[in-house]
Amino acid sequence: MSHEPVLAFEDIVKKFGTFRALDKVSATLKAGEILGLVGPNGSGKTTLINVISGLYNPDAGKILFQGLDITRWPMHKRARVGINRTFQIPKPFKSLSITENVALAYHYGSKPAMNPRQALDFVGLSHAASQLALQLNSTQQKLLDLARALAAGPKILLIDELAAGLNHQELKVIADHVQLLAQQGIALIVVEHHLGFVNQLTNRVIVMNAGKEIFQGSLDQAAQDPVVSAVYLGTGS
Amino acid sequence: MFNPQWDTNTPNRLRRRLVNGVIPVLLLAGFSVSPLVYANQAILFQMMAFMALAQGVNLLYGFTGYLPFGYVGFFGIGAYGMAISIQLLHFPGILAVIIGGLLSSVIAMAFLPLLRLSGAYFAISSLAAAEVLSHIVSNSAFIHITNGPYGEQLTQSYHPLTSYVVMVIVLVLTTVVVIFIRNRPFGRALMAIREDPVSAAMAGISVVRARSVVWLLSALIAGLTGALFGWHMSVFYPSTVFDLNISILAIVFTLFGGYGTVTGPVLGSIVLYGLYNAIGISDPQYFQLIYGLLIIALVLFLPGGIISLIQRRGNYVP
Amino acid sequence: MFAYSLISGILFGIFFGFMALGLNLIFGVMEMVNLAHGDFVVLGGYVGITALNSWHINPLVSLIFALLLFFVVGLGLFFPLVPRLSHSRDPEMLSLILFFGLSQVLEALMEIKFGVNPESLPLSVFGNSSWHFLGQSYQISWVVSALISLLMILLTYVFLYYTPMGRAVRAVMGNREEARATGLPVKRTSAIIFAIGIALAAMSGVLSPLMIGSIDPTSGLGLTTIAFAIVVIGSLGNPLGSVLGGLVYGISLMLMQTYLSSWSVLVPYLLLLIIVLVRPSGLLGKGVRHV
Repeated sequence: MSHEPVLAFEDIVKKFGTFRALDKVSATLKAGEILGLVGPNGSGKTTLINVISGLYNPDAGKILFQGLDITRWPMHKRARVGINRTFQIPKPFKSLSITENVALAYHYGSKPAMNPRQALDFVGLSHAASQLALQLNSTQQKLLDLARALAAGPKILLIDELAAGLNHQELKVIADHVQLLAQQGIALIVVEHHLGFVNQLTNRVIVMNAGKEIFQGSLDQAAQDPVVSAVYLGTGS
Repeated sequence: MFNPQWDTNTPNRLRRRLVNGVIPVLLLAGFSVSPLVYANQAILFQMMAFMALAQGVNLLYGFTGYLPFGYVGFFGIGAYGMAISIQLLHFPGILAVIIGGLLSSVIAMAFLPLLRLSGAYFAISSLAAAEVLSHIVSNSAFIHITNGPYGEQLTQSYHPLTSYVVMVIVLVLTTVVVIFIRNRPFGRALMAIREDPVSAAMAGISVVRARSVVWLLSALIAGLTGALFGWHMSVFYPSTVFDLNISILAIVFTLFGGYGTVTGPVLGSIVLYGLYNAIGISDPQYFQLIYGLLIIALVLFLPGGIISLIQRRGNYVP
Repeated sequence: MFAYSLISGILFGIFFGFMALGLNLIFGVMEMVNLAHGDFVVLGGYVGITALNSWHINPLVSLIFALLLFFVVGLGLFFPLVPRLSHSRDPEMLSLILFFGLSQVLEALMEIKFGVNPESLPLSVFGNSSWHFLGQSYQISWVVSALISLLMILLTYVFLYYTPMGRAVRAVMGNREEARATGLPVKRTSAIIFAIGIALAAMSGVLSPLMIGSIDPTSGLGLTTIAFAIVVIGSLGNPLGSVLGGLVYGISLMLMQTYLSSWSVLVPYLLLLIIVLVRPSGLLGKGVRHV
């Protein structure tokens, strides 16, 4: 495993009007590493994912991918060099088939990558390959979204709230799969509400609150940190 | 809906290629032979023109979701680009037609920001853009270039046979382009953008570039068609080539046949333009009444057009 | 010259604000653009002209008649057409196409019934006097039309802000899903607003021959474009926005007619293009919904 960070973001600020959704957030990530991003609702987790994936431009700060400044790059260009993400509410291309959904990402995305069949096998959707995406239920749509991201050949994968709505058994399977991706050298940031799920994945977390990073370190330490417990108890999570 | 490229079933793939390939061949043969058996060449010419325009609308609406009420703007610019090339630059007809088509694409480039709009905003703004173009062309301020409201007379370059033949070529090429786009990843990419631009971008698709390519291409198609139309008529006025009914009919033909397919616009143009010739010339208001009612009925009961009746049973339709 | 253009621009602006009001209401509540809006305006125009020519009924009476008649027409069109659309896959686009079809039908029916020649109302229909103001005189029919328009805009405002029904309408405009979730009768509200929108269009249409000179069956699409421009300028769903949009349009039109008359026909189109490309949420708008 290389010691060069594959992703680094420094002092990211994102404002909506006068509201600071992100207030000087920084971190680095190495290949094969899993970083958990936790915090209460509205703390800025998804906003950070949106900034890294290029959906929003930050108002200040810098994003480096393998040392390259990509702060102002459009989304598709990031996807083509290997930064990809899943969506909290996935929006698959409903009138295309499952295979076509994934094949598009494989065609336009970064290489090397899992081919459409491998990606669908990986998330367990091969049996439905020729169905239209509109026939999937919401859990399957999330899996398709993940397959789409994988077929685009990510070196960095940002996963937004994958665990919501999954049962215990499914969580275990997904956690193993995410571990597997990390072992293949993909760097992952996992946004999660479900601390138990984060705990199965990694010990390294960033805790966010009100747009600020209030803790960075291991999950065990976070649990003992007074500021973190105050935020979590305060919001009742 | 399956893409032949990603379809591993080889006999299927071959069959689909064959069915797709048959369409341009049929068009070529049909419009080459029909003047021998049917004397009214003007009607055949206009049917081809509308078919090409309907394919242009199909690219914009069927693949990218933009409903271009102002599509006729490109048609008119093509006609005037051609006429000016002949009148002022003394270019030969075919070159003038190409200039007309290219000029349309250049104008389309200036209107690229319209693609930031969606739904009704785009539809009505494109209409406004076409009105602006039409009034600039017909304004007496530019009378020394466009002859203002008095129109163009190209009697010295009138060549109905050549313009007919070139129209056949443009129609066949347009159809081939639509077939190509529909069956390549690019066509899937356009459909993906139409459904969700953010997910499409995350699949690595350059949303802005893909939309722009289609916009310029459909402007080129309308420009070439308008140029050929003007050349074939040889006498026309701004109100002839910027007539909003041209956009309206092209849209109606596409919706009626079925957008997002290759055969839909072809079928829609043949059936409805045929109907137009049967009743529309003597009683245009009755024709308008019929297609207005048809549009309402389609939206309520058959939004995919008549082609979707065949698709519904799981049949592949090119 | 300038004062004349400005005052007549204001008179026209108020009228056009009223003309666009129905489109604005339907757009705001149902998120659908009624592309047949202009055709209902023209139909209202034919009501006024026919009533005067055939039965010597003053347009002031026809106004009320058109309002009532087209309220009923609106209700009659709503139930077979709109609820079906709301359940479809792409209501925004399909409604646009549906109303486009309706506009073609209305245009064709008007051509069949009234022919293609432009028709008009005599400008003296409200009396032969004129209004003198700051050394200029203005057509009394323009002044009366503007006053009626103003009255109707105010009534709409009162309806929206001071009646329970109006509050429901504004709730639906604000957030359709939330309004439905809180148990508001979204469908009934939509039906009534649709009918009011069409009734207001037809009512403004009675006055339209006085303001735009003459009407013919094909005038509809141009009027729809003008109304759409006005709605977008003034921000959708806001009746005061219609007035602002109308004033911007009316004054620009009159200034252009005075100083650059050969280009004045471009005014609505240029205004629309500028506003959608520079500030698509309109002058009063806070957020953009569809762009």
